[in-house]
Amino acid sequence: MYSNNRAEVIAYWDNLRHKIFSKKGGWVIGKGVFSHGFDMMKDLVGSKTYMQVLILNATGRLPEKCVADWFEARHICLSWPDSRIWCNHIGALGGTAQTSPVAATAAGLLGADSYAYGGSQTAIKGMAFIRQALKDKSSGLSVREIVEAECKKFKGKPVIMGYARPIAKGDERIEAMERVGENLGFKVGKHLSLAYEIEQHLVKEFGEGMNINGFSSAFIADLGYTGEEVYRISATIVASGVTACYSDSKDKPANGFLPLQCADVEYSGKPDRKISDNK
Amino acid sequence: MEKNIKTEHRKEIFSKKIPTRLCKELPSDDNPYLAKSIRYHGYELNDILENCNFVETFFLLFYGEFPDKNQSEILEKLMIGLINPGPRHPATRAAMYSSVSKTNPGNVLPIGLSIMSGSHGGAGDVESSMRFIRKNMRQSPQETANRLSELLPENSKEDLVIAPGFGQLYQSADPITSSISKMILALEGAGEALRWANEFAVVIQPYNMGWLKSGLAAAVFCDLGFQPKAGVGLYQLLTAPGILAHGLEVANKKLNSMPFPGDENYVFE
Repeated sequence: MYSNNRAEVIAYWDNLRHKIFSKKGGWVIGKGVFSHGFDMMKDLVGSKTYMQVLILNATGRLPEKCVADWFEARHICLSWPDSRIWCNHIGALGGTAQTSPVAATAAGLLGADSYAYGGSQTAIKGMAFIRQALKDKSSGLSVREIVEAECKKFKGKPVIMGYARPIAKGDERIEAMERVGENLGFKVGKHLSLAYEIEQHLVKEFGEGMNINGFSSAFIADLGYTGEEVYRISATIVASGVTACYSDSKDKPANGFLPLQCADVEYSGKPDRKISDNK
Repeated sequence: MEKNIKTEHRKEIFSKKIPTRLCKELPSDDNPYLAKSIRYHGYELNDILENCNFVETFFLLFYGEFPDKNQSEILEKLMIGLINPGPRHPATRAAMYSSVSKTNPGNVLPIGLSIMSGSHGGAGDVESSMRFIRKNMRQSPQETANRLSELLPENSKEDLVIAPGFGQLYQSADPITSSISKMILALEGAGEALRWANEFAVVIQPYNMGWLKSGLAAAVFCDLGFQPKAGVGLYQLLTAPGILAHGLEVANKKLNSMPFPGDENYVFE
């Protein structure tokens, strides 16, 4: 039985009452603004990139510039100005409804907080998969066995987080990110190497390749970040694409983005009826 | 090693139209972008306006049929019970802080509801609570509690949650939710899920646990026939009036009308 001592319980909460305890930092008026031990105005502003500080704030660790530059390139890959993409579509709807840019962009960000696409939640699952796959391989499983075990969960279909994608086969962003990685001096690590092997198998067996999430998840796993850290780093990853699509429709006449006639809605519900029939 | 398969369009077929089983509009005679009549689940809006109250219309939207008298009564009481999370709830505070700091007024409610999506004291565990109740309501509440209590951490500084929707707030059972549940249980429409969940809330009292609001909402939603997926959003909807009302009450106040801890209370760990 749990018999909490009431006085202890109240004392615990009272200790937190009216106080903020921060492991992150804060503003000491007259002295400076601090983030994880760095004086932001002296140590960070002007000498570190925005992405370095973003990662510092999300994880508590200041990354090397090359790591931040790689993440920044990944952000660009996930922020396309195509209003057919779901989060961008939300931004464009915000524009056509004449919302503020912040409301539309925030709504698009919420839309991309999805297990299906977007680089935030998907990174958690993608990293969990490739980390487990590497453990499985180390314990003796072949790539074929690893893939077959995943496919079994979906009746033999190649539904593996980080591989295949909606709308298109292949992913042009991988080639771009490989170029970025090479230019920044990164080598192919254990997770990424395995990700390529898995891709080769999937291409051969199913005609499906890796997507940007599979590539990024493996690359980031090699960097040593956790899935939760990447979720936090990626919280606003689609933002600029959403804002672009918001701007596109906001600058045009209201309701001008994909206007719908009544006939553009397919109704398949109950037939016409009267309340007196059923109430 | 050959890498990077060529990017090709899958040429999937997407629907040309927006699908709905809920709403049917008839175009006006001279402008197909305007509706001259609108029906919800078959009922014409004017018919609903003339013959239904808000709760009946709300139920119709989510369930597809009108509620009977008991269902309507229990939903209305739940709506009243949950209408205001109160100014100490993180969601309400988020709305109030955004409002007092002069955000765009249209942001106040979405800000509050976003925070209300959380799984502790919010809507985030209503779906899992509904699934928990549906899965366990054929079992003995006592046996269920005994089984789950073995999984509870010892000496935790965090609120204990024995199952989604049931546990502690500030390391105690929440008396307000218990009080609301008693009112709702006394109604004729109190169903099997609510009665089972109440028994479960009773048997976990020795652990200093009880109903959480999300559990109460989940039990009523189960009895009303709503699907678990609807649980989070329905809970957010039910709490929205209080969140907005508190946000609005500070909209014209000065910044210093809401707490801003002093430097002596901002502690670097």
